[in-house]
Amino acid sequence: MEHPLWDLAGVDGLAVARSLFGAEVDYLAPFQSMETRLQDKNCSVLRLCDRNFRIVYAGPLQQLITPLKAKIWLKQFDWLARLSLPISLLPEIISQATVRPPHRLKDIPNHRAVPAQLQGMPLLIWQHPHQGQPILELHAARQDLKTLTSKLEQIQSL
Amino acid sequence: MTANVLSAPTYTDIPSPLGPIIAEYRIAPGTAISYSVTQGQYIQIIDVAGAQCSDFLAFNANDYGQEIDSTVTRTLNGVTNPQAGLHSKYFSPSMQPLVEVIQDTCGRHDSFFLACTPRYYEDAGYPGHPSCSDNFNRVLAPHGMASRSGWPAINFFYNTQVDCHGHILSEESWSRSGDYVLLRAHQDLLCASSACPDDIDPANGWQPTSIHIRVYGADQSARPTFSRAMGRRVAADFPLRLTQDSAFTPCIRPLTDNVIEYNGFWVPNSFAHQGDQAEYWALRRRAALMDLSALRKFEVTGPDAFALLQYAFSRNVEKITSGRSGYGCLLNPHGGIVDDGIVFCFGPTHYRYVGNCDTDGDWLQRIAQRQGWSVDIEAVSDRIHNLALQGPKSRDILRPLTSFADPTITLDTLGYFQFTAARVGDIPLLLSRTGYTGELGYELFVHPDKGAQLWHLLLQSGQSAGLLPLGMKALDRARIEAGLLASGYEFDDLTSPYQAGIGWTVAMKKPDFIGKTALDKVRQHPPRVAVGLVLAGNEVAAQGQNIYPQGERWRIGQITSATFSPIRNQSIAMAQVVPEYAAPGTPVEIGLLDGIKRRVVATVGPLAAFDPTKSRVRI
Repeated sequence: MEHPLWDLAGVDGLAVARSLFGAEVDYLAPFQSMETRLQDKNCSVLRLCDRNFRIVYAGPLQQLITPLKAKIWLKQFDWLARLSLPISLLPEIISQATVRPPHRLKDIPNHRAVPAQLQGMPLLIWQHPHQGQPILELHAARQDLKTLTSKLEQIQSL
Repeated sequence: MTANVLSAPTYTDIPSPLGPIIAEYRIAPGTAISYSVTQGQYIQIIDVAGAQCSDFLAFNANDYGQEIDSTVTRTLNGVTNPQAGLHSKYFSPSMQPLVEVIQDTCGRHDSFFLACTPRYYEDAGYPGHPSCSDNFNRVLAPHGMASRSGWPAINFFYNTQVDCHGHILSEESWSRSGDYVLLRAHQDLLCASSACPDDIDPANGWQPTSIHIRVYGADQSARPTFSRAMGRRVAADFPLRLTQDSAFTPCIRPLTDNVIEYNGFWVPNSFAHQGDQAEYWALRRRAALMDLSALRKFEVTGPDAFALLQYAFSRNVEKITSGRSGYGCLLNPHGGIVDDGIVFCFGPTHYRYVGNCDTDGDWLQRIAQRQGWSVDIEAVSDRIHNLALQGPKSRDILRPLTSFADPTITLDTLGYFQFTAARVGDIPLLLSRTGYTGELGYELFVHPDKGAQLWHLLLQSGQSAGLLPLGMKALDRARIEAGLLASGYEFDDLTSPYQAGIGWTVAMKKPDFIGKTALDKVRQHPPRVAVGLVLAGNEVAAQGQNIYPQGERWRIGQITSATFSPIRNQSIAMAQVVPEYAAPGTPVEIGLLDGIKRRVVATVGPLAAFDPTKSRVRI
């Protein structure tokens, strides 16, 4: 079972992220990510803006945050879906996806996400390691999931 | 009506074409035309006589429902009007770009108001007055388009702005004769342009005149004359200046699409797949490379070069000996800062001034003329572009690359604010131990012909040390931490050095200099003084926000610059406050939002929140 996605944001978003993941989190620019451990569990942290973070984590994140009494919210969006794909699909997806300036997909490194459009469908393309291996992760609107899966099957069959 | 292509008359009242023309229309005063362009073609809208507005409509040629939508355009760009560069496109309701601004020599247009309507004139007592909207109705009717009471146009050259009370103000157009906007069509378009008939207010200078349209072919994109540029005017007697590339920009563009206009140059804001945090930390922990070619350079030579700078520059130039430089400011007679900059001394009759303004040289020239001094001032910015290599590892990166003509000089003995002729690789340059980051660092002044070579050499050589190119976002964060001033934020020509926080650059013991009398009074009790603030929370302040004593309603100062300091992990600001509240440790309040809804406590400290003793730059 895939770990859930958590979104965290607010005035104290960075302060909370530093408290949970250490000062290293402030070395990330928006759309950069890091892998870490939290309470002995694997954790992926993607910075979306100065004080906005998306976290992949199987543990009880709310319990860790509540004692901090910080001005943030922590949510799991029921409208946001996540797909993990083999990294081998990345070149084909890049060739079919478009981005809006100043974002770039070309030469996307590991630990990096890019907002993009796949045949007009909006999604976030995120390359980061999972259990030591780079994976490709797509975040899209849940209502688009069926169509996205179909598009990806077409790409895989190419 | 649809205008026909004119039989190539020569127009002597407008600038020469930017390239081969495929269609050209002269719009008579008070009228409008419609015309078609295909995807990729360029439309140049020229104000013939000056101060004349030209309202513009564009529709997808295959779906007239897809027309320019100003609300969509403002939302997607985050600016009131698109400008050449990153935020340059006008969008349709379906968020597709219709046209893109490639060049704009005026810089002031309107997208808030309709094209002028019959109702506007009726309400002003002019029933029946011609209007752009009625003119558009006439020229669009043959295309099957229904009339509208008012057309939501892009009103080029129409001077409007939203004031702090929310009013939309309009005044006479800023455009001069020959000013133009060059657009690129992103789709096949039906367009309409007007020469606005409004003669009842100052919008067209009370006298409607002509507008000229030129259409260029789609194959022009590779031509240098079609490069993206904004036009800027810095003084009445200075020519229009179009945004230019530095010698390093061709190396920078492949690394980022986030390029912005800064002081007449295209500069990187941040780099792709890197971001300003990574660039900032590279600077603070390792090294970073930045293009500072937007600085203006002037050679000051002649028998009275010293006398001129001793009189015009705030520092005691006697102490700036050959091979040394000094930071200070040019002053005006009331003690305001004309510009801040660095004077480099090559000898008693040869100095170089490096500042921010094209007008600095002219200011020095005027002073020399008034004083009857024999000095030549030469603007050399086009011959000298500069990189800054900054950060704790900058010396280690440069050391193996650098050789000196003078064998007594080494990189390790080149002191802070010293400079020398050097070679980096085989590239001749001037190497200066200066910077704008609060870190150990160097500035490398090089002929533009060698710029690309120098950029690649440094970036490659610094790779193993973790060197990254750095953009303006990270640079701004670093300079605020270091308490370094920015023109337009910490000072202008109404601000004294004592208020800006650089009173230490004023050599009051000099016998005479511009502004001495005024500054002698100002320094006793400056109206405000510069301080640093550390905020209690994580919210970031903004320029212009007011500062209050705790629990009081009356103001004691304003924020000039603010950022979140990663290295201090605190929200910090530079501010100017009345002297009574400038003592270190004084608690104050910053009014966020409307100044009433939320106040954040801040503590007064040194102007530089990071390394206030400047120990890192002197290593």
